[in-house]
Amino acid sequence: MDVTAVDRSAISGDTLLHRAAPASKLVAAGLLLGAVVAVNDPLVAAGVALSLTGAGAAVRLPLRTMLPLALYPALFALIFAFAAAPGPMTGALVVLKAVTAALAVVTLMFSTPYPQVFAPLQRVTPQVVGDALLMTYRSLFILAEKFADLTRAVRLRAGLSARQPIRSAKATVRALGGLLLYSLDLSQREYDILYLRGYEGGLRVSGKRGTDRTADAAAVLYAALILATVLAFRLAAGLGGYTWIVMVAGAVDLATGLLIGRRRS
Amino acid sequence: MSHIHIPDGVLPWWLWLTGWLVTAVLLGLASRRATRSGSRRAVPIIGAVSALVLVSMSSEIVPIAYHVNLTVIAGVLLGPWLGMIAAFIVVLVLALLGHGGITVVGLNTLVIATEIALGWALVRGGTRLFGIARVRPVAAVSTVLTLAITTTMLVGVVALAGTGAATRETGALDAETLEFRNPFSGGLFSIGLLGHGHEAEEEHEAEAGHEDEGGDAHAGEDAHAHGATLSVSRFAAVVYTLGPIGWLLEALVTAGVLGYVGRVRPSLLFAGADGLGRTPRIGDEHGGR
Repeated sequence: MDVTAVDRSAISGDTLLHRAAPASKLVAAGLLLGAVVAVNDPLVAAGVALSLTGAGAAVRLPLRTMLPLALYPALFALIFAFAAAPGPMTGALVVLKAVTAALAVVTLMFSTPYPQVFAPLQRVTPQVVGDALLMTYRSLFILAEKFADLTRAVRLRAGLSARQPIRSAKATVRALGGLLLYSLDLSQREYDILYLRGYEGGLRVSGKRGTDRTADAAAVLYAALILATVLAFRLAAGLGGYTWIVMVAGAVDLATGLLIGRRRS
Repeated sequence: MSHIHIPDGVLPWWLWLTGWLVTAVLLGLASRRATRSGSRRAVPIIGAVSALVLVSMSSEIVPIAYHVNLTVIAGVLLGPWLGMIAAFIVVLVLALLGHGGITVVGLNTLVIATEIALGWALVRGGTRLFGIARVRPVAAVSTVLTLAITTTMLVGVVALAGTGAATRETGALDAETLEFRNPFSGGLFSIGLLGHGHEAEEEHEAEAGHEDEGGDAHAGEDAHAHGATLSVSRFAAVVYTLGPIGWLLEALVTAGVLGYVGRVRPSLLFAGADGLGRTPRIGDEHGGR
């Protein structure tokens, strides 16, 4: 899970989605999550997942970095499906729901800087929670980099070796112990900074407006269309035999998206 | 497997909504306590420990789909109240990175917060009883106990979910017969591309004896009656088989890390939890309130 890659894409990317307002993207992500909750057919879920991937490809989001992150929950969903689902098709639905939901949130995070995602959350959560959320994200990058440095140092000193698992485990635990001490020192430094700046609670994040109204409308309309399709197939009993059409449409979306993305590059 | 890796839309809405409501209440109480004792002190330590847990969770052991959690360590450092806030933040950030559903954030927070609170109570009790010098064995036993309890909580959640909604009528999957309805079984024309779809559909429903007039709730009851619910016993068998491997790994890591901290800087153990009641430094009497 490369968190720094997510942040890099969100801040330095320049796609149609990056130009949309964070509020529109949050609404779109909410609608897509609604679709994931409502979907009750594996073919429809597969169609939505393919279409989302196609949309990402069309706007030229970094799919090579995004897809492993979106597919990561499939590993855990597969175990849950194997352990608890009553049949293979329900199992497939569980895995597809996990991947589709992950695709929706990963698309949001790859195109929106994290303070803009957390800003609306700050309005509904208690002040301490909102502030700690921002502080966590800031500390996360520092600690991830520090942990990478620590494990690299241990490896260079031949502390990590497959032939000596016990020695490797001890070295990893010491690295984690070092990281823990570092994180507490970091929190002390952050406390000192807050103290000096006269922090009284409430780290403010200024809202960002979109630069492209078409992008705003496109994001919300696309998500609404997906939700409407899922609801139609869930509520209209007569459509039960046609779910394959959604999957075919999703495959067409993916092919078109890949084609558009290639042309733009 | 200490927190729920269940995607959105699998658990019934009343269950995940209850999880969100209980989390909101506990979060309110925890925030009030943190603010009363000084948000300037609480915010950085919650941020640092949450980030530490997130870094450890971001590397998993692939063959058994397990990742180190460090939740007991978070409990030892933060205590139950600040730990509740950290649990929410960790689960929310993970969900935003696609790891765990957004709808199950509430339930996941409760599981992780229980882990943090239990870890704190057991390690604190153990070190008071046996002394800080024996923090390693105390931490190992506390971690195994904590994870066993929270894994049982997880099985409980799936047992609650198994009463219907999770496997309601699933479109192509017939909830009654558990058979997949092949959309191409009657050929492309007869499935409705040229207007005969309804006949084929009705015919299929008549064959399967599928009466859907009762809506979702009715279908849910049918599914339950015919055993098409989540298999709690199979799920329990899997988590209680794979779980102990993870508990052991987590116990070894927790014991190692806390042993290391206990050796080099013992004053840091329970620092965050005890810091809530501690006299503030000179000039910071208000603690950022």
